[in-house]
Amino acid sequence: MLTCDQYHMPQTLKEALVLWNNAPDGSRLVAGATDILPWAREGRAGDVHLPAMIDVTKVAELNGYKVADGRVRLGANVVFQQFLEDDTLREHLPCMPYCSVWFADDQIRQQATLAGNIVNASPAADGTPPVLAMNGEIELARLEGESVAVRTLAVQDFVQGPGRTALQPGEIITAVTCDSMAGYGGSFEKVGQRRSLVISAVCATALVMTDPAGQRLEDIRLAIGGIGPVPLRLADIEDKLRSKTISRELITEVSMQPPALVASRTRREYRRWVVRGFVQAAIEDALADAGHPIAPALPKEAEHV
Amino acid sequence: MQRKMRGRGMAASWYGIARTATIDRAGAWAELDDGGTAKIVTGVTEIGEGILTVLAQIAAEELGVKPEDITIGDNDTARSPEAAHAGATRQTYMIGNSVALACREAFARLVAELADHWDVEPDSIKAFDGEIWSEGSNFKTSMEDAVDVCKKRGVVPVGSGSFTAHGTGLDPEDGSGSPWQAYVYGCQVAEVEVDTVTGEVQVLGIWAAHDVGRAINPRGVEGQIEGGVVQGLGQALMEDYQLEDGHTKTHGFAKYILPTSLDIPQINTVIVEDPDPKSPLGAKGIGEPALVPTAPAIMNAIYDAVGVRITALPATPEKILAGLASLKDRKLQSVEAAE
Amino acid sequence: MSDFKLDMEVNGRRVSKHTAGHLRLLDFIRDELDLTGTKEGCGAGECGTCSVFVDGKLVKSCLMPVAKANGAKIETIEGLAGTGVLTPVQRAFHKTGASQCGYCIPGMVMAATSALRENPGASAEELKERLGGNICRCTGYTKIFEAVEIARDVIAGRVGTQALEPEGAGDSYIGNNVRRLDAPSKVSGRLRYAGDMTMPHMLHMQVLRSPHAHARIVSIDTSEAEAMPGVECVITADDVPGEDGFGVFVHDQPIMARGSVRYVGEGIAAVAAENVETARRALSKIHVAYEELPAIFDPEEAMQPGAPVIHEYASDNIVKHIPIRKGDVKKGFAEADLIVEETYQTQQVEHAYLEPEAGIAYVDHDDVVTVISPSQNITHHRHMLAKIIDKPINKVRFIMSPVGGGFGGKEDMIYQGMLALAAMKTHRPVRLVYTREESIISTAKRHPARITYKMGLKNDGKITAIQFHMVSDGGAYGMSTEGVMRKAAILSCGPYDVANVQIDTIGVYTNNTPSGAFRTFGAMQAQFATESHLDICAERLGLDPFEIRRINMMRDGAFTHTKQKLGSVSLDEVLTAAETSSGWEAGAPDMRGPARKDLGGPGTREPCSLGARFEASSGKSKRQVA
Repeated sequence: MLTCDQYHMPQTLKEALVLWNNAPDGSRLVAGATDILPWAREGRAGDVHLPAMIDVTKVAELNGYKVADGRVRLGANVVFQQFLEDDTLREHLPCMPYCSVWFADDQIRQQATLAGNIVNASPAADGTPPVLAMNGEIELARLEGESVAVRTLAVQDFVQGPGRTALQPGEIITAVTCDSMAGYGGSFEKVGQRRSLVISAVCATALVMTDPAGQRLEDIRLAIGGIGPVPLRLADIEDKLRSKTISRELITEVSMQPPALVASRTRREYRRWVVRGFVQAAIEDALADAGHPIAPALPKEAEHV
Repeated sequence: MQRKMRGRGMAASWYGIARTATIDRAGAWAELDDGGTAKIVTGVTEIGEGILTVLAQIAAEELGVKPEDITIGDNDTARSPEAAHAGATRQTYMIGNSVALACREAFARLVAELADHWDVEPDSIKAFDGEIWSEGSNFKTSMEDAVDVCKKRGVVPVGSGSFTAHGTGLDPEDGSGSPWQAYVYGCQVAEVEVDTVTGEVQVLGIWAAHDVGRAINPRGVEGQIEGGVVQGLGQALMEDYQLEDGHTKTHGFAKYILPTSLDIPQINTVIVEDPDPKSPLGAKGIGEPALVPTAPAIMNAIYDAVGVRITALPATPEKILAGLASLKDRKLQSVEAAE
Repeated sequence: MSDFKLDMEVNGRRVSKHTAGHLRLLDFIRDELDLTGTKEGCGAGECGTCSVFVDGKLVKSCLMPVAKANGAKIETIEGLAGTGVLTPVQRAFHKTGASQCGYCIPGMVMAATSALRENPGASAEELKERLGGNICRCTGYTKIFEAVEIARDVIAGRVGTQALEPEGAGDSYIGNNVRRLDAPSKVSGRLRYAGDMTMPHMLHMQVLRSPHAHARIVSIDTSEAEAMPGVECVITADDVPGEDGFGVFVHDQPIMARGSVRYVGEGIAAVAAENVETARRALSKIHVAYEELPAIFDPEEAMQPGAPVIHEYASDNIVKHIPIRKGDVKKGFAEADLIVEETYQTQQVEHAYLEPEAGIAYVDHDDVVTVISPSQNITHHRHMLAKIIDKPINKVRFIMSPVGGGFGGKEDMIYQGMLALAAMKTHRPVRLVYTREESIISTAKRHPARITYKMGLKNDGKITAIQFHMVSDGGAYGMSTEGVMRKAAILSCGPYDVANVQIDTIGVYTNNTPSGAFRTFGAMQAQFATESHLDICAERLGLDPFEIRRINMMRDGAFTHTKQKLGSVSLDEVLTAAETSSGWEAGAPDMRGPARKDLGGPGTREPCSLGARFEASSGKSKRQVA
């Protein structure tokens, strides 16, 4: 059971920062609150009493998104369901609809924010690998005297380990920014123990841009999650594929590498098996999404068998 | 091997109806009431299977009224006769038959008065859906009128019923005995798709054929089979209550994984009716037996698809991939041996 | 506690209240507004029984602090239609029999309503995706899908409203799809389960549970908790006036731990207070001193000499051993051409009914101790409680409240005794509602099983002998273990005519969560082994799975493993029904999936690949490549 002495709903960023700075020790900042309520239950944290909860969902500056100069600035209050339903976001972030449709369910997606998913820094976070692949950055605001100061961190520098981030006391995430990937094909692969309301055992995302004929990879972005303390960008593999002629052989070959990166302490063998297939599937699904599906393979042995 | 491999498996099953290796019993009261309605009182326990509707159908049929005109007074130990527990696939069999017996007694009381009133043979009187008539004559009236006639003659048309199922205990040495008087049989076929990259198993189709004796409400029987199949599927593929030194690791539904709407197959039900000769209704039961063949049918289908034999439930993606890996090891070994 | 001023519109009416801002929207709707159609199944966003619309968006109200809903328009299940009226979605649920226990149904109706509002033309696959946040444990979802598709077509005008009407009477009500009588109250959220009921002057109970798997209770000090304002009473085993002990076959379980605890989660003491928060705080003021004892978690180890003894009456830790002997297995195996041995395991499984345990107890004007609860067996509860509280049986009354799913899990009297004792002590109504986590740790599970199987067969497939040995973890208390072992033994070797069988099922005490009654009562564990084993043998003998079963099946007049002579046996009929309806292609089960010709027929669904809504909008079917 979660209780608190004060529940604040600031309307402006400044107000939120002041409240957050002055909040007693142990207070919590929340957006969707979809993680904190289940956390304060038996088997996890048990009954939790907080001095204050500061809810930022009414903070105007954190709402909405903007596309400019090849970047998409997603206000920290953007929720997962928007990636499914908003045509502009679907166009500019083509892997996100596939990520979102796997994320929790339609109802939780109405409340859960991408920024919240990233800041929780779960190794299994579905939202982080796509942001990583899209050169994501985290925008952090803090008070400096009377004014609001902002710093920006690359998402790989922000997420440091399970539950650990570079967030400093008094800071609030105001936005997640990433490259606009308009024109790319996107994909998201995920496996858990079922197909809805499920936590990733492994997930992978790909974004591909091909030449108009779909013969050559102009650009590719790859990231995987659930394989260690933090999600990984597969830059080496991207380099091996960028500007290359697309072939199943090439994709299969580069997919042999990622298993070595799996550092999870549990289910490591399983994750290694899956990752190899997932990198391949993510690339192929992204190519299909781009309108250039790779020709079906002749029946043959799956790589790990 | 392609990424997605399909296969089929089947399994059969049997099950006993009502309490095991003992005498089972249930009681009910019935009353044909004013307005041609009826009251049934019995210690029945509706746990979602639809037993109240089944009892209303049985009472409607026996009394000649409409199911929606039946009022059921259900389980209250101070107000209703003993009908015992909701379990052992016993309620349709035990309580259904006791309600039928109670209704027959109440109906006979009404018929006796009406036959006298109309001056016809009691056996000629039939009723259905709120009307009552004497076959071979022009006498026909509403149940409302019939009850009115009966009551004006000073008789309240009530009845009671007690139904017994005769099981016997097992011999403590060799287990011999007759635990049930009614048995049901079932068979299910499963079709699965195994993802050889992730190890996930999706069940795409289940064909479930079950003997229920007599289906009082076929749609309700289907509902029981569909629910049983999905519980069986949950146990086959994902559900796992885990303990570590007595402490659970699966505290809530985030960790204890249940099938969702996206995890279930098309379920094709075939109802088989082999009526029970030892009871008035001929109906047997379906609540529990529907679940029995599902998990082995799925395991047999997985083996058919990819050659992995899962002997320890549940068949998680991880176990499937480990099974595929050891198959590969075995293949390599046999190739080496051949060389 | 914060004092938050809320102004919102709920089901078209203005609501203005002061409340704590952190309160969950779910609590506000249920406790402050008494709209109990919105249920709490898990409290963690994992089940969907609490789904409500907030400004037109469906959310899980257990995940939303009420402050977030300030200024919003809220729509609950009660607000979907006018009083006494049902929406097309609700009528379709009624029509198809989509509600069984009904506990998930308000949330499911809300999810279906949301899906059709978001996309009135949604395909069947998209509808399934949009219902993906709502768990149903009874129906297998199939009738729910059917209902939502009918509602979609009626709303779109593709079919007339007659699709929502009941089928006619025909010439008999037997074999007739009469609509469920209880469906209207379930689809509209009007049905009140025990946790939805309140009584004037009612107290709220919370239970202190054991953190240890096996320990001696040295002392329990309840004085500090009892002194707290708002706490009306604290009860322990010392408050039991009669003969303490319940169970289905052996009465080995006290109402609350007596002298020792035997599993993690066992109730030790209970507090009845003016509200749940106070009762929970009081639990932390109860001081229990334990002396930890050696614990045992593996049933095989529990049977070893020298293992810690869990109940004094059973020094070998065996709850029940059921033997069945027929013929001569030695001779049977000697006659066999093929002997196949294998071991099988099944896991512990949670019932996961969507309604967590709940109940209310009170003492009435005639001094009758009355307990209202969703129990599957109040007849037996009454007998046991009368002894435990030392009252004549007519001074104990059990009333069944609507049962939000049972599956065997609500057969045991695990909490009703505590409620009765608190009501007797306070002479006030007392209510207890379990959390999901509490339900999971403290209530019985399906018995896990380890089965050693040995089967002998002739080359023609005829079984000559079966040796079946099952060890099952019964956990800390007997509950239904004896009966489960008996049923498992009787049914173990399947509906097959086998001359020589040797069957042993053994239920064992450990310090694990107890195992108890669960739909099939041991039969699925046993027959999982038999049916897997038959396929292994069929492969070895080159026989089709149906064929090997037909060769061995019991026929009319056959004798069972317990030597009962059967009457009519419908097995051949059901085998043929399944074989025919599935269009089964005959052959030995030797991994011939890739070569089969009977796959992907009309009885199957397409594999779920998620994203049905994009495929509809983009016309792309992207998932066929990988």
